[in-house]
Amino acid sequence: MRRKTLRTIALSVAAATAVALSGCAGGGGGGDAAAGGTVTLWVRDYQEAIMKPLADAFNKSHDTKVKVTLVPAGEFVQKLGTAAAGNNAPDIASIDLVFTPYFASVGALADITDKVEALDYADDLSPAHVAQGQYEGKTYSVPFTGDVSVLFYNKTLFAEAGLDPEAPPKTHQEIADAAARISALGDGKYGYVFSGACGGCNIFSMTPLIWASGGNVLNEDGTKALLDSQEVTDALQLYRDMWANGDMPELVQTDNGPNAGTPFQEGKIGMKGDGTFFLGTLASEGTVDFGVTPLPGKDGGSASFAGGDNLSITSGSKNPDGAWEFLEWATGEEAQTQLADASVLPIRMDLLDDIYIPKDPRYQVFADALAKGFVPYSTVENELFNDNNGIWATLIAESVFGGDIEAAQKKAQKAAQALLDEAND
Amino acid sequence: MTSTLLPPAPAAAAALSSPRRRRTGLGRRRQLTGALLALPAIALLGIFFLWPLTRTVFMSFFDWPMLGAAEFAGLDNYAKAFTDAEFLRAVGFTLVYTALTTPLLLVVGFGLALLVSRRTRAARFFQTIYFLPVVIGLASGSFLWLFMWQSDVGPTTQLLGSLGLVDPAKNIFADYWGALLIVVGMVTWKVAGLQMLLLLSGLQSIPVEVNEAARMDGATGWQVFKHVTLPLLRPTLALVLVFSVAGSLLAFDQFYILTTGGPANSTITAVYQIYRTSFIQFDLGYGAALSLLLMLVLGLVSAVQMLLLRNSDHS
Amino acid sequence: MSAIIATPISAAPRRPEARSTQPVLPRVAWWVISVCLAVLFLYPLWVMVSQISVEDFLSFADGAGGLSVASSLGNSIFVSVLATAVTVLVSTLAGYAFSRLPFPGSKAVFFVTLITFMVPFQAIITPLYLVLRDIGLSNNLVGLSLVIATFNLPLGIFLMRNSFAAIPATLEEAALIDGSSTLGALWRIMLPVALPGVVSTALLAFFAAWNEFFATLILITDQAQYTLPVSLGILSAGTNNAVDWGLMQAGVAITVIPCIVIYLVLQKYYVAGLLSGSVK
Repeated sequence: MRRKTLRTIALSVAAATAVALSGCAGGGGGGDAAAGGTVTLWVRDYQEAIMKPLADAFNKSHDTKVKVTLVPAGEFVQKLGTAAAGNNAPDIASIDLVFTPYFASVGALADITDKVEALDYADDLSPAHVAQGQYEGKTYSVPFTGDVSVLFYNKTLFAEAGLDPEAPPKTHQEIADAAARISALGDGKYGYVFSGACGGCNIFSMTPLIWASGGNVLNEDGTKALLDSQEVTDALQLYRDMWANGDMPELVQTDNGPNAGTPFQEGKIGMKGDGTFFLGTLASEGTVDFGVTPLPGKDGGSASFAGGDNLSITSGSKNPDGAWEFLEWATGEEAQTQLADASVLPIRMDLLDDIYIPKDPRYQVFADALAKGFVPYSTVENELFNDNNGIWATLIAESVFGGDIEAAQKKAQKAAQALLDEAND
Repeated sequence: MTSTLLPPAPAAAAALSSPRRRRTGLGRRRQLTGALLALPAIALLGIFFLWPLTRTVFMSFFDWPMLGAAEFAGLDNYAKAFTDAEFLRAVGFTLVYTALTTPLLLVVGFGLALLVSRRTRAARFFQTIYFLPVVIGLASGSFLWLFMWQSDVGPTTQLLGSLGLVDPAKNIFADYWGALLIVVGMVTWKVAGLQMLLLLSGLQSIPVEVNEAARMDGATGWQVFKHVTLPLLRPTLALVLVFSVAGSLLAFDQFYILTTGGPANSTITAVYQIYRTSFIQFDLGYGAALSLLLMLVLGLVSAVQMLLLRNSDHS
Repeated sequence: MSAIIATPISAAPRRPEARSTQPVLPRVAWWVISVCLAVLFLYPLWVMVSQISVEDFLSFADGAGGLSVASSLGNSIFVSVLATAVTVLVSTLAGYAFSRLPFPGSKAVFFVTLITFMVPFQAIITPLYLVLRDIGLSNNLVGLSLVIATFNLPLGIFLMRNSFAAIPATLEEAALIDGSSTLGALWRIMLPVALPGVVSTALLAFFAAWNEFFATLILITDQAQYTLPVSLGILSAGTNNAVDWGLMQAGVAITVIPCIVIYLVLQKYYVAGLLSGSVK
């Protein structure tokens, strides 16, 4: 019996291997435009809840079948890089949009300029996503999902602290004041939480505080670092003061992403910068009475990071026609509506009013944020911002927890500029 | 180093390949059989180790990005390593970590070995328990300890907090020594059992008579240990030390999972830096050069240990 | 290394050693210390077990995004068994050759084996990926198994070589005089005596293969072929990239418990093999 089970497993493994191998070998010949065949797609693991139903819907209505592989989020970029280096990448990659410039710049993605321009709704796609999908004037990806950063705040705690739950902070000073008053409640309550050891989290939720003040971390074309600018100092100072005042729980110092959300979900935290996904989590749990508001600048104004995923066809794809079929469908009304139903922010600006905003009064904030969101453009994004031991993460750690903001900024600016000079050489 | 690791086998083999046999051609045939039997190992090592290693050496002389065109760079990558502050800091930290864990593991392993060296059922039972964590993967062990020591939610933090020993809200990983000690604790827990077993085997092979003779000559327990037991244990100590130093110098998983290099990049090891160079900065050529330098250091350290501990080998 | 150790053992038959250690520690103190240490060593495992909840396991069983824990388990078993079998076979043959049938260059080969120990795996994973592609074994569980087996060879060959070396030469000579071939002697006479070494090699290889994460992650590109550590990593990542400690510990438990059970069942041989394999 046992032996039989093992053999069955061995056989099924062998069969799976054979299928995979033949999938690699064949397919290339692929017939007409309505391609057929199978296309492989990689997506970060925590998006499986979105991608799986989408793939099922596509497969039901198409001859072409899409096969999804989940990749651990923390290792997505290196895995895709290794696979592309071995000319063995999937047909489609659902890439965190900030990495598309890099993969485009090294020739890992297929040029789909003509196909994208031919779309009826080419001009209605999220501008931030479109910009990230370009490299040297050509288009290498289409927008897929939106994820914008806003300020989440706990209305119950605001009320308890004597703040108006319907008047969330509009300036840095108001954030600091609210945080102090909520922390004063004691009993394990804190005003603010963020992931202090996470580069990507803070490019998402902290840079808007800089942009809204009129500053930036990089110049427009990504050739000059602006990490020593006054607006960056202001944002770091805001965090530094809240940390020094004890308005944040201790876990923020080492959290590299996965832990900061939990205390907010447990109702212990006043404010947290986070994205669309977080709203889905909070709403489905229903335990916290929360509001969302744009992330403010030092003296007002607001800004947002317009993130999410772009879909790209890899340059080594054996079935680019089949892959495009999925890309076109995924940006279409049916797929985008399905995403909106799963409380994902769609990237079709023309559809937001119909399929997304009516679902939840808070969605308007996201829709607005998407329209005027920022994303720093860089082919060295991973090394500069997303590396949890990199320049940006180190700047935050040394400023917020170390305290010498000026020295940290100087050091980070120098390192960032050297990196950009080398990359743009 | 080979001579230290290799010596005993020939004792048996020499008897079989004595001149008489060689003359009859049997020795040659045995050699041929030996080579044939080693062939699968040579093939596997050749294909899955030496071939990629050769490519690594080749890459180290290039500016070789993960994607895109490579450019010949001569010895630039090697030269760069010696002025790369991040890499040098990582090397420094790796040395601190190695200097901390090596003696600790040795002392704990030795203590455990002495403890379970009685030939009783109870001793065997405890030996089994102390060895148990050895069979757990490094990653699994790290995830377990990561959870144990989390502020607020970690069971260990809560337990110690309820006893009033620590502040459960305190984030131990935010402190350099706190983070480092958790890693050292996890590694000790996971590896000490193996060292215990290796040292125990050494201890048990020392004949009782030797100790007794020394005792009769009036030596104290400490003197016996220092002048009789330790010298006789040298070969075992050499083995244990080489394993543990190599393991420490190549440390990666435990830091990647437990500290992610923090706080403020203070616990990035050499291999961690190689990982960042190759997979975050996509600079495979430089990563290859760093790896080869590390390999060289490791080879040298192992050789030195062997040399220092070998002289008892042929008593 | 063993010349010194092996000879005395045969010269002086073993005796209860309690006599020589007893004076160092009184009985009561010995018990107290041993039990306290045992508590410390078992505590983390108790933490792991105490966190297990049925719901977490059920949520694994549901799978997510088409990730099936059952098929990952199958893949893990396949890879672990194949890698173990290859390691044992290759190490036994090579260990025998190195200890009993030295050939010109055998020391050099043994030395190369040991270098495998000294290379950071991260350094050669990309070239290794390319090599596997070149020989048609990329994204293939067999290729992965062979890679894992190769990196277990140093320990395996080391253990097997020492296990064989510890067997008195007369045993093999007797077999050869009786007319056995060299391989026949290996199979019928030597291997049974060296069995503990074989078990140790097998278990070390199995544990390593069962726990392998990084090699699988990079070398396997299709989730239908993921092994347990990779799948469990994905499943416990949860949604919104927030950690679910309960799920994570359930994943740890699933990987750890089989290793512990196997160790406890085979520990008699395992420990004996490590003892004889490491010093003799």
